[in-house]
Amino acid sequence: MLEFFGRFHPVFVHLPIGILILACICILLSFKAKFAGLKPAIPLMLLFGALSAIISCFTGYFLANSGDYEGDLVSNHQWMGISVAILSVILSVIYKKVQSKAILGAFATLLAILISVTGHLGGSLTHGSDYLTAPLKSGAAKDGSAIPPIPNVQEAFVYQNAIQPLLKNRCYSCHGSEKQKGKLRLDQEAYILKGGENGPTLVKGKADESELIKRILLPLNDEDHMAPKEKPQLTTNEIALLKWWINNDADFKKKFKDLPQTAEIKPVLAGLQKGENAEGEVKNSEIAAEEVSAADDKVLKKLAEAGIIVVPVAQNTNYLSANFVNAQSMDKDVLALLKSIDKQLLWLKLENSKVNDQALAAIKGCKNLSRLSLNNTAITDAGLAQLKDLDQLQSLSLVGTKVSFKGITELKKLKNLKFLYLYQTHISKTDLAAIKRLLPKTSLDTGNYSVPMLAQDTVVVKAP
Amino acid sequence: MTRDELNAHRLIKEAHEANARLHSRRHFLKESAMGLGALAMGSLLGSCGNLFSGKQTKIAYDPAHPLLPKSPPLVGKAKSVIYLHMAGAPSQLELFDFKPELMKMDGQDCPPSLLAGKKFAFITGVPKMLGPQATFAKHGQSGSLVSDNLPHFSTLVDEVTFLKAVKTDQFNHAPAQLLVHTGSPRLGRPSMGSWVTYGLGSENQNLPGYVVLTSGGSFPDAGKSVWGSGFLPSVYQGVQCRSEGDPVLFIKDPEGMNRDLRKASIEAINKANEQQYQEYNDPEILSRIAQYEMAYRMQISAPEVMNINDEPAYIHEMYGTQPGKACFANNVLLARKLVEKGVRYIQLFDWGWDAHGDNPNNSLNIGLKNKCRSIDRPITALLLDLKQRGLLEETLVVWGGEFGRTPMMENRNGIQNPFKGRDHHTEAFTIWMAGGGIKKGFTHGETDEIGYSAISGKVDAFDIQATILNQLGFDHEQFTYPFQGRPFRLTDVAGKVIREVVA
Repeated sequence: MLEFFGRFHPVFVHLPIGILILACICILLSFKAKFAGLKPAIPLMLLFGALSAIISCFTGYFLANSGDYEGDLVSNHQWMGISVAILSVILSVIYKKVQSKAILGAFATLLAILISVTGHLGGSLTHGSDYLTAPLKSGAAKDGSAIPPIPNVQEAFVYQNAIQPLLKNRCYSCHGSEKQKGKLRLDQEAYILKGGENGPTLVKGKADESELIKRILLPLNDEDHMAPKEKPQLTTNEIALLKWWINNDADFKKKFKDLPQTAEIKPVLAGLQKGENAEGEVKNSEIAAEEVSAADDKVLKKLAEAGIIVVPVAQNTNYLSANFVNAQSMDKDVLALLKSIDKQLLWLKLENSKVNDQALAAIKGCKNLSRLSLNNTAITDAGLAQLKDLDQLQSLSLVGTKVSFKGITELKKLKNLKFLYLYQTHISKTDLAAIKRLLPKTSLDTGNYSVPMLAQDTVVVKAP
Repeated sequence: MTRDELNAHRLIKEAHEANARLHSRRHFLKESAMGLGALAMGSLLGSCGNLFSGKQTKIAYDPAHPLLPKSPPLVGKAKSVIYLHMAGAPSQLELFDFKPELMKMDGQDCPPSLLAGKKFAFITGVPKMLGPQATFAKHGQSGSLVSDNLPHFSTLVDEVTFLKAVKTDQFNHAPAQLLVHTGSPRLGRPSMGSWVTYGLGSENQNLPGYVVLTSGGSFPDAGKSVWGSGFLPSVYQGVQCRSEGDPVLFIKDPEGMNRDLRKASIEAINKANEQQYQEYNDPEILSRIAQYEMAYRMQISAPEVMNINDEPAYIHEMYGTQPGKACFANNVLLARKLVEKGVRYIQLFDWGWDAHGDNPNNSLNIGLKNKCRSIDRPITALLLDLKQRGLLEETLVVWGGEFGRTPMMENRNGIQNPFKGRDHHTEAFTIWMAGGGIKKGFTHGETDEIGYSAISGKVDAFDIQATILNQLGFDHEQFTYPFQGRPFRLTDVAGKVIREVVA
């Protein structure tokens, strides 16, 4: 029951803060003749302020006794709070009796400072001690990832370099030295192993049975889900890392290289090295790390007038995607416009357009181009020679063109080419093996798939 | 006054009155009050906008060009979606979810634990368990299980991700279909295709961005609302097209109307609409103008694109089309053509999968086998054809129904049905996805030993919607539309991207 009243503390404390600060300001202002009219209101303010401060002390005491809090911060906050209450009572009693501006002024200033400090300590208890200054620091927690990049993962310590920063950024604010929700601390080995009021946190070697993992994996709306719904959540990679650590006996001393590394954990560890463990950070390998300058709006407008709609591939980038599906023409002007955005072009669809070998010269300098479709166009081997320097190209589609093996040899420098589509081209089966030698990393698709006719295909099943 | 004069007089008076009504004191007050209110509200919201909408996806909606392509917030892996919906709900237990244990229980009374507190659409009393009515085998390198009902598709399991533990909370067709496609079992929400075309526009300005094709002889039970635009601008609703006869009804100019006359009349209509817009400033009027213009362009481009007859014979053979008929195979071939032409979202519905066992066409041994045959070749051809054209990487293909079917044999009103059939089941069913940046040869989720409920990898309609939006470059939690005073999402307050299936 008392704990219930204790829970009102975070709400109630705002009354003394507001009322007493206002009272202090009024006291100081009322010394000037201009604001002397404030005087009659001050005793009332002090009375209400003192009363609310006393109530706050009691609710705060109940909350502190609930067991979720421990340590210096709480006791500091507690005694500061009590001093605020005592000081405000004294001020309220002596206000009418003392006439000295100096004494009243000193009391008011001291009270205001005390309230500010107490309030700050209280805030640190609720939000974590680095809450106020976090935005000023360029810490790891800022970009959503809880673990700072590790230069050499294999040589790093699993607990010290990954698990501890993870717990620090995701859990300490409620389960650390200042606050122990559910009587749980996660800031030191002994505390982690000891667990909280609901039993041990970890079952060594069995992540799925460990309370820590169980709670993290509960549905977001579940009352026991951790971290609480409104706090930043652990990312999939972070959870995978924790599970892996617990499954390997939750060792506090070993290095990454000492633990067995499964195929599932390898990409997570690789991500740690690059600092890519944040959620949603699906690094699109098509986009180069450095951003390009924005394309000229006038060029885009003119292209749109020619029926070629060019838009950024995403809202946060200047790289462009262009599709010629509604293109009205492929004349010199269009090609010149295309050339002027060659740095920005990332995806280009020219399928079924009037593009020919000469016109392809316009995209010769598209250094960042990653996807190009030339399906069903008049392109021949001569055209492919224009593409030989597009070394960022990952996907090239030449379906329904007259290209042959000779043209493909022009592409041998395209080391990033992942997909090459060669359906309905002049590439023979024997060429294929040669292309594979030329482009060993590229997956070749010559299509021509068919779906065989099975006896079953024509049998209509009827009721007996 | 003669009769004619009197009529003319009346008409003029009526016109005056109508005009005056627009300029009445009440109208003036209403307009100006609304205007001032909107201004005040706008500046208020604008000033606190950063507080609650700072992270939300911004969509530049231009009512005069509603379908222009737009950039997603993040780089998407998929550019278009083909959603194959088997309306009526295919039986996962005869297609993908093999349960040998269920075979052992065949013919036994259903254990009471499976019935206590449960509600079914038709099952009453104690039904009998029904073993799998198909033979299963492992296929491909992934070893995914597919039954002999889909011999062609089973050769492609290494291209596909199976979601085997999909759950729903609706056991009737219409609400369940609405939930899958609009995120709510009730009418009135925009469908997924509307959200996607609203957010991304469409690559081809001469075709609708969101095309709906139906087969199987009947519409889905949820009716046309399942491709409706809800509170989004109406230009984003699905456009129903056909793979037989005219691709869109009334697309030809009527008898005696030539192209020039058509153009002149559309221009006249648009002029009138523009005047109307000047007066009311309703953006819906601009969408209407845009729709007239697109309809005019479509008259030229649609018959060409939507005519599957110009495809070579071997492609027709591959898909197993039936020229001149409305059938699933024709629709699937058309879907591929539309994707190639830059249509954003293509929704297929094939009706007739509701295998209750109440008649031969609705039974697992007869009707279901025929339905499977009618889709097996087309879906296989679709995946292969997209692949060989370099389109599968950027096209997300989704196949599924609105719910699953019970491991029990249906006993409608307590009497065993005359044919082998299963009732509607909400606890677990299978959906598969392919292409568009989804893992290949992967299975997520599993059901218990009789396929009654999901035991791991449980997902629901919202999770699937979140995943589809994710593949297109959207964060489903920030992709909102303001309506009736609050931002709405496709996934409302639920949904989690199924990260396990993202490649």
